[in-house]
Amino acid sequence: MIRLRLFVIVFLLTMPSILPAQIRQGGGSGMDETELYASTKQVNQFFRRFNGEEDQKGKRYYQNDRAYRDVSLRKNYITILFDDDNSGIPNDRKKAFINDVTDKRNPKYLNFHDDGWFAEVSAVFTRSGQEENISLFFKIQPQGQGFEWVLDKATSMQYQQYFGKDSSDQKSFLHPMSHELDFMNLHKSFRNQKGVDFTSTEFKPDYLSIFLYELGNKTIAFKTVKNLKFHFFQCEGWYFQISEYNRPGYNSGWLISDLAPIKNEDISALKAFIYDQQ
Amino acid sequence: MNLIAIKYMKNLSMLALLFCISFGALAQSADISPQRKQAIDSLALEKVRDLSKYISIIGDKETAYSEANRVMDRAEELFAPDSEMGVSSLSTEEITYYKVREYFQRLMALNYDKVKIDWYDIHYISDLEQQPDGKYVGVVTVYQRFEGTSEDGLTYKDTTKKDITIYVEKKKTQIAGRTIEFWDVMLGDIRVTETSA
Repeated sequence: MIRLRLFVIVFLLTMPSILPAQIRQGGGSGMDETELYASTKQVNQFFRRFNGEEDQKGKRYYQNDRAYRDVSLRKNYITILFDDDNSGIPNDRKKAFINDVTDKRNPKYLNFHDDGWFAEVSAVFTRSGQEENISLFFKIQPQGQGFEWVLDKATSMQYQQYFGKDSSDQKSFLHPMSHELDFMNLHKSFRNQKGVDFTSTEFKPDYLSIFLYELGNKTIAFKTVKNLKFHFFQCEGWYFQISEYNRPGYNSGWLISDLAPIKNEDISALKAFIYDQQ
Repeated sequence: MNLIAIKYMKNLSMLALLFCISFGALAQSADISPQRKQAIDSLALEKVRDLSKYISIIGDKETAYSEANRVMDRAEELFAPDSEMGVSSLSTEEITYYKVREYFQRLMALNYDKVKIDWYDIHYISDLEQQPDGKYVGVVTVYQRFEGTSEDGLTYKDTTKKDITIYVEKKKTQIAGRTIEFWDVMLGDIRVTETSA
């Protein structure tokens, strides 16, 4: 742990020394700019640093450049791409991750246009004058001549409360001869019970359709975005999450806020958990 | 800085534009080559610097009302229609949205006796990604230092990160009967975040 911290400090301390003198001081403000320089200022920069595709000044490396995707550059960068204040990610896990994604025989890179990553937007909407949080999940897809972010999932506590299904033997049901009575028992069932208890075992709620319906008929109205994070499954064997840290010091901007090893067969369960949590 | 100085900045911008024209004439591939990307980055940075100058003039309490309005007109010309500023502070997670003109007007009307706006030299320019309509889009990040002093001598300071959308589009123009393609840059929505730096 101490060795890792020492390494990060040394790497960061080398950053100011390679900066031209004119960018060390703010435009007349007298403030040291190296913190801003060290910050991972855009998600784009997170990708570039992770892949080892830019220099310490943010200048892009291309395939013909010698330092492009250089292993030691990548190791240095990825080491500083973790949220240092997060004690939930053990150092040996970080180390295993860095070694795995920079392994010369099978290096793992992030690709903006590929599947395997998505955005989670915590947005605020108003419903009958009251604020309500709704999480929206977006993914990148090809469209026309380029790409676009598209809505993939939505979730809200407001929606979830109607979908807690009773799976016990005492659950409500429509008896098997209901059809002979023209389903007249719906009158009682829908008045007294939760509708979801009358759904099939395969039923899965689609919150995005409900969200779109409510947005379309103006039951809800967009107010603001409160928070944003990204989930990555692009590095085989690993899941990680990045969040933005707006704070002083050399460890700020877009950083890894969660990291876990994951087997391929567990990915869909983890995704389902991410989509359903509020 | 007055409008003469701004016109000088405009000339620089035109130079950058012509620089891009020459690249436009040389390379016609669908992808943006590293050389062309650099030329477009320079042009985008010129526009961002123009905007920085305009913001400093609009915010300056020494700027006459009529001059500030003229500068606002010039500044608005840098933006694609319907561009907005999304502003948040350290005290609230919420983003407040302003039309560009409204943002400038609020800046001009700030209740300080003296206002000083500086820009850090640091900037970060993202890759350019192609949109469905064929235009390219990128983001330039810059940092601004604001200092407002009220009549009773109290000083308010903040540093804001500005993530500025840039739209890059290949256009055509006629020069001496010849059709020349060039790359033009427009500014779009700007996310303004107060930093704790």
